[in-house]
Amino acid sequence: MFKRFSGIVKKEFIELLRDKLALLLIFIAPVLVIFLEGYGLVLDVKKIPLAFLDYDRSKLSREYVNSFVNSEYFKFYRLVSNYKEAEELIKKGKIRALIVIPSDFSRKLYKWQNVQVQILVDGTYPNRAQIVKGYVSSINFKFNMKLLQIYAKTLEEKEKFPIEVEMRAWYNPALESKNFIMPGELVTILCFYPILISCLAIVREKELGSIFNFYCSPAKSWEIVLGKAIPYIIVSFLTYLTLFFITVFVFKAKFIGNFIALSIGSFLYISCTVGLGFLISSFTKTQITAMLLAFVLAVLPSYLYSGYLCPISSMDLSGQIMSKFIPATYFLKIVRGIYLKGLGLGFYINNLFYLCLYGFIVYTLTILRFKKRID
Amino acid sequence: MRRLVVLLKKEFLQLLRDKILIIVLIYAFTIDVYVGGKGVKLEVNNFPTIIQDQSKSFKSRELISRFREPYFKILAFVESDKEVVNWLDKGKASMAIIIPPDFERKVDKRQGKIQVIIDGTMSITATMAVSYVAEITNDYAIELLERKGGVTKHFFENFPQIDERTRVLFNPNCLSHWFMGLAELFNVVTMVPLLITAAVLIKEKEYGTIEQLLVTPVRSWEIFLAKILPTVIIVSLLTMLSIFIMIKGVFKVPIRGNLFLFYIVTCLYIFSLSSIGIAIATMVGNLSQAMMVIMIILVPMLMISGVWTPPEAMRLFARYASLLSPMRYYLDFGYGVILKGNGLKYVWQDILGIILIGGLLLFFSALRFRQSFAK
Repeated sequence: MFKRFSGIVKKEFIELLRDKLALLLIFIAPVLVIFLEGYGLVLDVKKIPLAFLDYDRSKLSREYVNSFVNSEYFKFYRLVSNYKEAEELIKKGKIRALIVIPSDFSRKLYKWQNVQVQILVDGTYPNRAQIVKGYVSSINFKFNMKLLQIYAKTLEEKEKFPIEVEMRAWYNPALESKNFIMPGELVTILCFYPILISCLAIVREKELGSIFNFYCSPAKSWEIVLGKAIPYIIVSFLTYLTLFFITVFVFKAKFIGNFIALSIGSFLYISCTVGLGFLISSFTKTQITAMLLAFVLAVLPSYLYSGYLCPISSMDLSGQIMSKFIPATYFLKIVRGIYLKGLGLGFYINNLFYLCLYGFIVYTLTILRFKKRID
Repeated sequence: MRRLVVLLKKEFLQLLRDKILIIVLIYAFTIDVYVGGKGVKLEVNNFPTIIQDQSKSFKSRELISRFREPYFKILAFVESDKEVVNWLDKGKASMAIIIPPDFERKVDKRQGKIQVIIDGTMSITATMAVSYVAEITNDYAIELLERKGGVTKHFFENFPQIDERTRVLFNPNCLSHWFMGLAELFNVVTMVPLLITAAVLIKEKEYGTIEQLLVTPVRSWEIFLAKILPTVIIVSLLTMLSIFIMIKGVFKVPIRGNLFLFYIVTCLYIFSLSSIGIAIATMVGNLSQAMMVIMIILVPMLMISGVWTPPEAMRLFARYASLLSPMRYYLDFGYGVILKGNGLKYVWQDILGIILIGGLLLFFSALRFRQSFAK
């Protein structure tokens, strides 16, 4: 039995190694992707182009404008002279927000009165619009505090703001985005990449007809499926090692955990994702469909529903259900924990268990589906 | 012309023969768009929070009562620092609000302080959540000032304060499904044509049937067009279906622009992506090689073209690289026409970009096609 099994593994290995160009691409593709994403993906909202419509043009209004311009969040685009010009800029996407300062701005403030400032935000990207709103209010708030202090001085009354909020970020104190992006990329790439390389494994043989060689051999279904899976798992594991090296030594993401623990988790995870590719392969009839299914089911969902770009807790029901079906969800917690929190695998027993369960289900379904039959 | 019609018929038949493929396509343009739009919420929503109230005073309770759903989900009130560590380590909570023992006393002296600890492994949402905490706390603090009797009335009527009136354009309530639904649709429109055309041509190469076609009297450009047109027709129709059923019907996005313009440019866009597919197919030998090449092109294109990284935030390298990505122009165009109601006057540059890149790709792929299948 073992001899038969090792024979199948050997055959699959030879097949994988024979296609030199494919092999080269298999090792290069994930590396290129992590480099492009590592340098290209910018998730924090900064340098938002901002324009001002200043009807007041006083010293105070200039000071107000400067309080925005001097922050790292905004980039001064220009002063516009009327609404129409501003509208044009917003429609063209040249600016993301406009601040309109009324003509009585300084007059009213010097008279110790309230004044209203109008802010228009481009809502095309709603979450960025909300962040912009937040930035604007916090800068506005600081400016108000300054005014209040001047005012209080004239009243000879010490007016200080009663409550301060002090923020501290654990595990990633400077909130560096590489510490956030790199572990996330490791998880997402290792989600879709093994699926993509393995999703053709069975369906190709179905299309070419060589599957009948398996059907009429004495080998059992599970031997064939697992025997086919092992080379892909090994290739993916080598890729994991490369990607890990890149995240830690090239992009210098913080890594304080245990490498062995991470590797054990990765191995389990990769086995799951390769299995998922096999499942797709066993349910489809043509390579085109398998490939389309793999891309649609693996690439975007691994980014959207794993919790990498937006937390699962804020998703609605359909998103949360989706996240349960994606192995990346379970592995992401482990990876973040090991990379940034330095916790051992013991902390993630339940996630490891889910991965095991996931792998078990995926392989069982594939083996059951891989019945020896002629239809 | 008649030859072309016959060829087109053949391609359509071949493509639509596989039932699972049709199901996958319909899934991609409906359910996938739905879950992508509705499931993923970019805003802070039910943010898992714990509170350590060391003060246990009237004011601390009053403040705590304001951290409410839908923004925050208070999971627990903890007593010790150890518990805080535990909740955050395990990733069960992403934020801890700590109110020090002398809170009430200090607030009366106007030196109050609360501490917010966030899980830095998920920086974007966490920082957004902190800004909400700050906003809520500030509002409470202002209310405390107002409440302080005597001073209040007269103090606040004559209070030099800038009142910000924010208006969000195009998506006034910042509904993330307007944005995400369209984003997912644009992702699918980008992915599907590239994959299908590449796969269809490679299949003919792998089977050797392309040689059969080449010995018939059809011209190579006819074969070329016959490979692209079915994809353009099918995908553009599915896109419009998705616009009407999902985007307009389910998500109730107000479509402000001209849908005819949108349709025409979508066709052009699909044309240019199909050209990429053809070009890839001519350069590789089999589908596994093609999938890796597609992964290198597609994944960064989807992630860096503007949905996650806004153009103005891109690093210099990515900003130039993204100029080569047809998706960047299409995103700008699509959001511009549908959400902003932009006409030709504002989007002609995007259309020009799609045409130029598409034309270049078409030229290149046609050249490659002729070279590899020269008669």
